[in-house]
Amino acid sequence: MRKYTASLSAVAVALAVAGCQQSDGPQGEKISIEKNPYPSTYQPMPRQSTLITNATVLTGDGQRIDAGDVYMVDGQIKQVGKDLDVQADVTINAQGKWVTPGIIDVHSHLGAYPSPAVESHQDGNEMTSPNTAAVWVEHSVWPQDPGFNRAREGGITTLQILPGSANLFGGRSVTLKNVPAHTMQGMKFPEAPYGLKMACGENPKRVYGSKGVLPSTRMGNMAGYRKAWIDATEYKRAWEKYEADYDAGKNVEAPERDITLDTLSAVLDGDILIHNHCYKAEEMAMMIDLGKEFGYHSGTFHHGIEAYKIADLLAENGNCAALWPDWWGFKMEAYDMVQENVAIVDAVKNSCAIVHSDSDTTIQRLNQEAAKVMYRANDNGFDIDEAHAIKWITSNAAKSLGVADKTGTLSAGKQADVVLWNQNPFSVYAKAEQVFIDGAKVYDRNDEKYQAQSDFMLGQR
Amino acid sequence: MMNLFKLTAISAAFVMSTQTYAESLAITNATVYTAAQQGVLKDATVVIESGNIVAVNPSEVSADTIIDAEDKILTPGFIGSLNGLGLVEVSAVADSRDGGDKKATMTFDPSLAFNPRSSLIPYARKGGITSNVIAPYGGDDIFAGLASLVSLSGEFDSVTRQGVALHVKLGAKHEGSRALSLQTLIDTLEKHSERDEDDDKSKGKEAEILDAVFAKEIPLVIDVSRASDMLELLKVKARFDVDMVFAGAQDAVLITEQLADSDTPVVISAMDNLPGSFDSMHAHLENAAKLEQAGVTVILTIAGDSAHNLYQLRFDAGNAVSYGMTAQGALAAITSNVASAFNLDVGQIAPGKPADLVLWSADPFEFSTRIEKVWINGTEVSTQSRHDKLRERYTTDSEMPRAYTK
Repeated sequence: MRKYTASLSAVAVALAVAGCQQSDGPQGEKISIEKNPYPSTYQPMPRQSTLITNATVLTGDGQRIDAGDVYMVDGQIKQVGKDLDVQADVTINAQGKWVTPGIIDVHSHLGAYPSPAVESHQDGNEMTSPNTAAVWVEHSVWPQDPGFNRAREGGITTLQILPGSANLFGGRSVTLKNVPAHTMQGMKFPEAPYGLKMACGENPKRVYGSKGVLPSTRMGNMAGYRKAWIDATEYKRAWEKYEADYDAGKNVEAPERDITLDTLSAVLDGDILIHNHCYKAEEMAMMIDLGKEFGYHSGTFHHGIEAYKIADLLAENGNCAALWPDWWGFKMEAYDMVQENVAIVDAVKNSCAIVHSDSDTTIQRLNQEAAKVMYRANDNGFDIDEAHAIKWITSNAAKSLGVADKTGTLSAGKQADVVLWNQNPFSVYAKAEQVFIDGAKVYDRNDEKYQAQSDFMLGQR
Repeated sequence: MMNLFKLTAISAAFVMSTQTYAESLAITNATVYTAAQQGVLKDATVVIESGNIVAVNPSEVSADTIIDAEDKILTPGFIGSLNGLGLVEVSAVADSRDGGDKKATMTFDPSLAFNPRSSLIPYARKGGITSNVIAPYGGDDIFAGLASLVSLSGEFDSVTRQGVALHVKLGAKHEGSRALSLQTLIDTLEKHSERDEDDDKSKGKEAEILDAVFAKEIPLVIDVSRASDMLELLKVKARFDVDMVFAGAQDAVLITEQLADSDTPVVISAMDNLPGSFDSMHAHLENAAKLEQAGVTVILTIAGDSAHNLYQLRFDAGNAVSYGMTAQGALAAITSNVASAFNLDVGQIAPGKPADLVLWSADPFEFSTRIEKVWINGTEVSTQSRHDKLRERYTTDSEMPRAYTK
């Protein structure tokens, strides 16, 4: 057995590996890890076949169809085109209006940091250890957060809830359908992969440095990640050995469960996607190499204020970059902002640029956030149109979350997550008029029947 | 004109003119949003001399320089309010913060620490901001200190007027009761109103500030969100006959009549629409419009880190319009209403006003609209910032490392 430096997780692995010994006698029951113990109970809301006609349609995969039609049946996009010859229960004449896929925010803390922002609601950041890969943010989500309703009014149909960024490993994310529900499972996006939140830079070193424990520096951050991945590699190996031995008919004891290492080894298996809070060019580059050192993909970089400095590197390595148009200056690693960051990342071949919010207010206006990028970039020599820019908040976001086969574009077979806008969504005056999730109308600006209210706001005056 | 951004040599980006033009300038053929009684003037001319507007639509135009605005929109420069622009560089870098102090009291004047060379200032100019009411965030005391008017010229004489308001923090408290804060305010005003003016002991900086408050030279600007708190403050306002401005004011929409009747302006964020606390259960995107319709003087400001995000003010105004505010009302909310609430000379296109002007490619509230030109005190200023230099560096091909691209 390998020698480890003393750490809690290393001790756990040592015990686990010790427990995997062979003994005499017949085989016991095979132990396996339940990967989905809190399954989705999401059911689409009542729906009818719906035909939207005569709209300016942005499909989310780069196309624009003028005077286009979108046909939804049984919760799926059935057809998109011009002058569709189909029958529908509901037909919406969208003359002068625009249609896009449902908007996806890859970075939200709704439910985990809900409104009102009182002390009892601070459930997003388990700031008690540099490695809290054991925590799952879905266990913190308060479905009654009024912010979910406000986000739906802005066209948000899918959102990833992330734990905060105090820790090197913050815990598991969860992807939700933005439907009103009174349980988290009722919102949980079926079959969406889990994410693992990691954080670079100032936050972890500040939080733990002030407690006098590792990490207190950026080099401490890197050492912390590497130690954890070494433990995860050993844990994964112990389980693989157990399964191989068991399958060979040996009477072996299963390794001891460790929910921190369950999550990390699932990343190594490729089942959980990395979502990495990481601002600075040099740190993102090192995180890419860290993934290569331990054999996992470094996933999506969130808040990458300096992503524009390494646009080539991100594209070469298949990393998405989820970025703000203009947040800056709140800390040192956010000082080198450029308003064209998203556009510069996007301009490289095989790139994956995303506009994200990390905000309970701007999540309501991701269309406007994308508009800021598009117009400022075009002012400075770029040539980006609406059909392309919408990808930053639809298909590219879906790719980052591992749900691109299900949502993010208006194409036949995808879930009918659709927004009808009263005008060009890249205008400051645009509003989402109707929002559909899986073909069901979940919001209508002109019909109070489709305007959900959270339990918390009910009866307040 | 269309390619102003591209044609502006990047090397000139940081060159700020230090001279004040004695020459005259006329901007002709503009659609002028005056933010004054004249409203919108089509095909209008604005004449500037020695940094001031001297004529709007004169019968005859004569000036050293004439700029044809080609029907584009000319507005007063926008005015930010109640933020730490020039008092903070990087929020999490303690050494770069000067907007508050644990020991701050009524006399705390952060304008003494104002840095006109902050990188935030050229960036804010990109949003058409030409002046700003900086405000302290204070310390333990209910009095946070004095707000001041600054220009965004970037010059060392940028503090235009010190002490334009006395800033007070009321409402929800993490410890203790808001009742005590309100009582402290009442006691302070009561004590001042009853003092013997001939008694030397009652003189001093605090007394001078309160004299200005009682003379209505400066308002009390009060951070308050809950409607019942604002109603209590309106009693205080009536009793002591002082001017008040409510900032935050998420639940002002519940008491529009009382605010209008008492002529009390509110400083709000157009984007506040979540119940962030039990003091702000009625935050809504339609609040700006509802307050405007009720006759309340509305000032729009940016929520949160408004020092770094101030350039977005025009987009917030656009959102307010999309939720029912009139376009001219939203313009007033970031120009003339700020001026009237804080007794400032800026914020309108009218003879005698400083020539703080912005020429826009189209509707100033739209994302697609560009800034064509900005003047502060009649001098054209740059709308380039270090952000543009960074973009240029990383989008310019070079065989040498990026560090050599300047």
